[in-house]
Amino acid sequence: MFSQNKRHIINQLYFIMRKLILLLFAIIPSFVLAQGFQVNLHGQKQIGMGHTGTGLLQDGASVLFNPGAVAMLPQNYVQAGMSPLLFKSDFNPSGSTDQFRTKSKIATPFTAYGVWGPKDARWKIGLGVYTPYGGLTDWGNDWIGKYSLESLNLKAIYFQPTLSVKLTDFLSVGAGFVYNHGTVDLTRAIPVSNSSGQDGQAELKGSGHGFGWNAGAFLKTDIGLTIGLDYRSQVNTTVKNGNAIFNVANSIQSNFPQPNTFTTTLPLPSTSSIGLGYKPSDKWTLALDANFTKWDVYKTLGFDYAKNAPTLQDTYSPRNYKNGWSYRAGAEYKATSKLFVRGGGGYVTTAVRDGYVTPEAPDANRYYLTAGLGYKVTKNLDLDVSFEYEHLDARTQTNIESQLSGTFKTNVYIPGLSLAYHW
Amino acid sequence: MKTYSSYLHIFLVTGLLGFAACKTSINTPAPSRGTADFSRYISVGNSLTAGYADNGLYLEGQLNSYPSIIAAQMQKVGGGTFTQPLFGTDQADGSGHLILTGFNADGTPKTQQVAATAVRNQVTVPNFGTVTLFTKYKGDINNYGVPGIKLQQITFGQLGNLNGYFERMLPTDFPTNTNSTYLDFVTAKPYTFFTDWLGNNDALLYATSGGAGDVLTDKAQFSQLYNLSITQLTKTGQKGAVATIPDVTAVPYFNTVTVGAILAAVQKANPAAKALYVNALVSGTTYAPRVATAADLIILTFPTSMIGQPVSTPAGNLPYGLTPYTPIDNKYVLDQGEVALTQDYVNAYNATIKSVASSKGLAIFDAYTFLNNVKANGLVVDGVNLSSAYISGGIFSLDGVHLTPRGYAVVANEFIKAINKQYNASIPLANVSSYRGVKFP
Repeated sequence: MFSQNKRHIINQLYFIMRKLILLLFAIIPSFVLAQGFQVNLHGQKQIGMGHTGTGLLQDGASVLFNPGAVAMLPQNYVQAGMSPLLFKSDFNPSGSTDQFRTKSKIATPFTAYGVWGPKDARWKIGLGVYTPYGGLTDWGNDWIGKYSLESLNLKAIYFQPTLSVKLTDFLSVGAGFVYNHGTVDLTRAIPVSNSSGQDGQAELKGSGHGFGWNAGAFLKTDIGLTIGLDYRSQVNTTVKNGNAIFNVANSIQSNFPQPNTFTTTLPLPSTSSIGLGYKPSDKWTLALDANFTKWDVYKTLGFDYAKNAPTLQDTYSPRNYKNGWSYRAGAEYKATSKLFVRGGGGYVTTAVRDGYVTPEAPDANRYYLTAGLGYKVTKNLDLDVSFEYEHLDARTQTNIESQLSGTFKTNVYIPGLSLAYHW
Repeated sequence: MKTYSSYLHIFLVTGLLGFAACKTSINTPAPSRGTADFSRYISVGNSLTAGYADNGLYLEGQLNSYPSIIAAQMQKVGGGTFTQPLFGTDQADGSGHLILTGFNADGTPKTQQVAATAVRNQVTVPNFGTVTLFTKYKGDINNYGVPGIKLQQITFGQLGNLNGYFERMLPTDFPTNTNSTYLDFVTAKPYTFFTDWLGNNDALLYATSGGAGDVLTDKAQFSQLYNLSITQLTKTGQKGAVATIPDVTAVPYFNTVTVGAILAAVQKANPAAKALYVNALVSGTTYAPRVATAADLIILTFPTSMIGQPVSTPAGNLPYGLTPYTPIDNKYVLDQGEVALTQDYVNAYNATIKSVASSKGLAIFDAYTFLNNVKANGLVVDGVNLSSAYISGGIFSLDGVHLTPRGYAVVANEFIKAINKQYNASIPLANVSSYRGVKFP
């Protein structure tokens, strides 16, 4: 509204409080990780049957599904599988027709199991290496929620040695020890422009570990019904001294001390499962599972920076998750002596309350459908393929922290393949 | 085994590639123009409408003007093309503007003026002063924002010789524009929809000059001209949106350099200093020196280094700003009385704006209430904390009055919300996070 240019003397503002700059960017990076990062891809046979398996004796994946069942397995197993996962989210901001989609990136959850015991022994030992939690979400750096998240690559790899013992012919129990190696790589835009108008960026990158255990029991009944109980403990995974990289315009770099590190602890929650298996005939196997995930341990997510500045404080973001349930059902049909056809599905309730949904894993109640084929290549070698389609309900939310307001909708496509050698 | 694995490899890869092509989509209802027609939208207003920022009008600011942001969204509901009187890319710095060059050790900002590139001439008009003339703009115009214009001037036939930004839009050159009023110029070509954000300068130029360099437009004259302009703008049934005038105290120009901060700094060097003195409004046009309080607003461009400098007085040399004989000049201070006066006028102007707009069924963006809210509570949009703070707030540009592209995007969305409500339309909102705040070196 100045009609003429005057001589400018703003540089003479000696007295503006230092506070002015120190208060710059109340936007302290506070990263959040959300529920959808539980990955349930633990064996191709089980995926094909809607992720059931707690009450079944399928193969070495029992190390994860129910260590109690391992001793009942008729053979020894060495197997590995992979389930490349394509997570496709869409976000439509409130009051807008824009649609922002995650980039097509393929995550690679995998499983490897070994189970061994002497012929006719009452015990078996096992080892499982699998990825129960993870996430690969890349929204890019020009979408509306970039100040909440650009991309997340989270992986948790569990190593689980296991011992299982047959107490009687109809009851076995087992337990395993869990070591988790986790990595996280998270980027987010910082809303301060450089001289060419581009945002700053924060990246948190690190790895850490945690410990846990699991235990299960497996019961065979006279009427052809098998019952499994399984408990997987919470695994608190601590990332220590991860790299905290802040890339901002030179004139304000000192507000974001570099080099810097961060420490955070992520509680990967416990899961309790009960599963039933039933063989109505030689050709059919039916299974039901119910799982309870104790997400309410996830109250806050904190990041503790080694070097703080007035603009870079430690952060504590409320998560306040609620416990989640999943209900699963599946069936297997033995089409020929070599070919098995599988199908299943399930429903999972969300752990994220209204107001806490974030782009990391835009969680909502979800259903999924699965299908699978098994082929006995030789007497000792199984080849299994699976496919899963997962749909997260559209969820319209305004996040209480970021005020990011709009609708998330997600579809997940997961083909998979495994080989199992057994003797 | 080889055959199987290659077979399966193909299965996995082709399978995933297939799904990569699947798009997750959310069904959104088709946006609607409601009962309005946006086929030719024009914007009427002052520097805020022109996209003025960082104490200048330059290409980047023009490209991020709120009318251009609104127009781009209107195009999703059948809006027409929107042409602005842009400076050419070879004259992108336009009138010249401020940039931030860094920070002093004490955290205060350092700015620098980028030279003008679109100045055609500077002429002296007797009894008025210097008028800067800019490269003429020839072509269609939808954005009629003219920096510096007051509502009081919209029927003044000589304005085209006195305001270089208006002169640049007119077909004829200085000094032949003796009979071209702003109101006639903007309504000459048919249009279907308008936004009107005039009136700020009728109060603001008084305020930014510390109540010393300009006068407030008479309330009755404001009312008469506002009625006249809206009547003419809606003459053939055009629909539109208007905005109220922000409270002067809501902008960082008056809230960044404070009496308390100056005094604290003075006392650091000279503990004996007890108070700052200002030359304050008593009543009418009578001013008298008194002790400054937090209710007196110091302007952003006050050269604080003047404080304590010896000033020659009949009582000998006395330190500037620290005695009743050497008060801070009136032009640097909008004192408490002047603030109250300005607020009284702004409230009266806004009452006029709201009643006239309501009587014509126009949409109203209440910028006064909105910016006071931002000042009191801040604003969180798309994960960004915005506030009315200078530089760090993200909304206000380096001049402390005009907005950053991000600030203009926020304003555009508020206009759109008001238009949607009034005309039962659903113009999609703009993406605020894709517009920048202040640029840091």
